[in-house]
Amino acid sequence: MLHATTLILSLILFSAVVISVLIARPAITATRGGKILAFVAMFCLPIFCGLLGVSREMGRSKSTAFCLSCHTMEDYGKSLYVDDPTHLPAAHFQNHRVPPDEACYSCHTSYAMFGGLKVKLYGLKHVAIYYLGTPPAPENIKLYEPYNNRECLHCHLGAKSFEEGATHNADPATLPAIKSNQLSCISSGCHDVAHDLAHLKDAKFWKGGK
Amino acid sequence: MLSPNHLEKLRQIAGIFIVLGLVIEALCLIWSTPIAFVVFVAFGGLLMFLGIALFLYSLVSTHKAPA
Repeated sequence: MLHATTLILSLILFSAVVISVLIARPAITATRGGKILAFVAMFCLPIFCGLLGVSREMGRSKSTAFCLSCHTMEDYGKSLYVDDPTHLPAAHFQNHRVPPDEACYSCHTSYAMFGGLKVKLYGLKHVAIYYLGTPPAPENIKLYEPYNNRECLHCHLGAKSFEEGATHNADPATLPAIKSNQLSCISSGCHDVAHDLAHLKDAKFWKGGK
Repeated sequence: MLSPNHLEKLRQIAGIFIVLGLVIEALCLIWSTPIAFVVFVAFGGLLMFLGIALFLYSLVSTHKAPA
């Protein structure tokens, strides 16, 4: 990722130098070659740099470090290190069931069409609230809508532990109800410990993984 | 120093906008915080858009010298 940033910065520097030459010597653009150079330097290169920059920023916005860089999210970051296998986010993060570098995004994106765009727009809203408004206390942060099983099934659907798990198959109606989002994975009392900031002070933390 | 030629002056101003936009983009890439993306899109993107639009305008505009 660092190399990608360096490459983009090099391209930006190169573009800026070429454009600066054209600013200092505008007469260059009078010739045919100069016109082509001006078109490449002042149209193609800036657009290319802009697209690379947007792509880089979009990639960066998925990172766990990016999400946790806001003070409000500090406790949520700590909750990923709770040493308790029933603590859903911590168990996923510590056992690499989600990529640890993209832990927040992996569970809190929407795996529907335009879901990524939707969460990015939510992210922009959060940035605006953080810098221009009054961010809520961490314990008062709520999801926009009830957590959809689709996000869990994106990874777990078809997995042996999910499809053949004893609890999931105890009742033949359970598995279809989970798959159709009728029975929530999280709020139905099965995997209901998510972040749990209220008990964070008393929690035991895993020291590894940093 | 801006050129006395109208079209060259337009391109110089366009170039200044684009370079400023690129500088903002570069700073935002180095400055890794959530607000950086907003600054990049809002200011860097706007400056680059203005610069490119001005450059394209300079390509199609026909300036008549005063009589």
